[in-house]
Amino acid sequence: MMTPLYKYGFFGDEMSLIVAVLLGIGFGFCLERAGFGSARKLAAQFYLYDMSVFKVMFTAIVTALLGVTYLGWIGWLDLSQVYLVPTYLAPQIVGGLVLGVGFVVGGYCPGTSAAAVATGRIDGMVYALGIFAGTFVYAEAYPAIKGFVNATPMGQVTLPQVFDIPWGVLVFAVVLMAVLGFWGATRVERWIGSRS
Amino acid sequence: MSASPIEPAGTRPGAGPGGYANPYVAGIGLGLVLLGAFVIMGRGLGASGAFSSTLAWLVNLVAPAHAQANEYFQGYLGDGSTHPLKAWLVFEVIGVLTGALLSGLLAGRVHFAIEKGPRATAALRLACAFLGGMLMAFGAHLARGCTSGQALTGGALLNVGSWAFMIMVFVGGYAAAWFMRWQWR
Amino acid sequence: MKWPTLTLNQKLGALALALGAVALLSQPHKGPYVKLDARELAMIVDKEVDHVKPAELAAWIIEGRSDYRLLDLRSEAAYAQYHIPTAENVPLAGLADFAVSPGEKIVLYSEGGIHAAQAWMLMRARGHANVYTVLLGLDGWKDDVLFPVLPADASPQERARFEKTAAVAKFFGGQARVGSEAAAGAEPGLPAMAAPAPSEMPKLAPPVPGKAPAPMTPRKKKEGC
Repeated sequence: MMTPLYKYGFFGDEMSLIVAVLLGIGFGFCLERAGFGSARKLAAQFYLYDMSVFKVMFTAIVTALLGVTYLGWIGWLDLSQVYLVPTYLAPQIVGGLVLGVGFVVGGYCPGTSAAAVATGRIDGMVYALGIFAGTFVYAEAYPAIKGFVNATPMGQVTLPQVFDIPWGVLVFAVVLMAVLGFWGATRVERWIGSRS
Repeated sequence: MSASPIEPAGTRPGAGPGGYANPYVAGIGLGLVLLGAFVIMGRGLGASGAFSSTLAWLVNLVAPAHAQANEYFQGYLGDGSTHPLKAWLVFEVIGVLTGALLSGLLAGRVHFAIEKGPRATAALRLACAFLGGMLMAFGAHLARGCTSGQALTGGALLNVGSWAFMIMVFVGGYAAAWFMRWQWR
Repeated sequence: MKWPTLTLNQKLGALALALGAVALLSQPHKGPYVKLDARELAMIVDKEVDHVKPAELAAWIIEGRSDYRLLDLRSEAAYAQYHIPTAENVPLAGLADFAVSPGEKIVLYSEGGIHAAQAWMLMRARGHANVYTVLLGLDGWKDDVLFPVLPADASPQERARFEKTAAVAKFFGGQARVGSEAAAGAEPGLPAMAAPAPSEMPKLAPPVPGKAPAPMTPRKKKEGC
């Protein structure tokens, strides 16, 4: 069997939308379970007393990374067919900064705001309106900033390619970093908790 | 995550504080959903694209000429052969809303409320939420993806831009945290 | 026995580290010793996930992307006369010895589609999975990028969109045509191929701001977020 199933034509566009809903349900369920429908829980990451954002995110990254690595290794997943967002380093660095500030100011990111809206958080709904407003501003500004948005293109590249490190070594490094990070984050949480 | 949420928090294995799931268990669940997206669709998860499609559709309803003259909206409207809302991410976010509602109902967490710290007023909190949403949208478009589409998805694929983006999200968040502490603590 | 004292979190951490350690040996992009899976190959060909459209390639070149290598499989003489900008010349016979790093994205083209398709199979046989061909080769490049034709009965919307295509054609030293012109003179563009125009191809570093044609696919595929 060869995956990704959609890219190999096991099902068509109509079916892919049903798959989208099903995957979305799993996504939303996990987000809400983790507490990410609550802006206080999310913002706590940046005040160090609850580092769930870091823990959940990196556990998910490690899980999926190990998954694609092993599935690719045994030949079930054709990794070259999994879409990589092209890298444009400069706008992505600036975008990350702006988004990080927006995270602390607004308390959510787009995915978690959907979880907040679904569970009745009024600030989440206002935040979603803010996303629409921000998107509108971006759309109007797009012609002016197009040059910057498309600056420093590097194409679809992975860290192993850029640093010329074998894929497996980087996987291990990420896992090690995550596990050490979890241990450290828990210590920090306890330390902050004991201070207040 | 299969444990019944009716049990008091903390009594079942894998339960974290506040009645929320253990972050690692929730993370594994999230990772498996993401892996499912890779294996089934050959793409990752996302969120902000759904907002863009919806906005493009709305603007096109209100001011079609304006929407079609704008290069950005035009990208989401396409050539008119398919409905702008018939996009993968729109359906995915419908799923997110459903899944979150389901989880929230099971845990008894669905109610109208404003999330804020004790020192912030509701009006200020809502103003900040709106402003934060705007900043987030702008940043996500510059970076070609938000925390879901870039950090999570690209992170698991060792995408260069995603890792640069993710590090900067934490840098930006911690840099702004001090100025926003009145809102949360 | 100290084992049972491990908490769930510690067990998960240990499991992750163990899986990560084994993954040190992994080659998820398939190493050089992979057997050819005939059914898989047939499926790839059938589902057309093995090629790049000329317009896509043009967009990559204009963006200055460097995450792939473009290989021209034709003879040195043909290559010298004209080649798609940024292409390296690797005549088909030399392909077997041509060194590529594992996982590197390779895009192949020849005159039409056939040689490139055969070379594609050769690369797959060498265990290189990340390989693509330019759809219809140089012929496709001429038809879609250098000398695109706008149907005479095109709608205003199509016309507006065609402006971008025409800008791309101009960028690559070609010439866009409208339906009637194209019908009148048989293949009027072709002589330009031999002309010196392509050699004075614009330097492919950053695209000229404002003039840079945006992604060419009419419906932008936002696959990310």
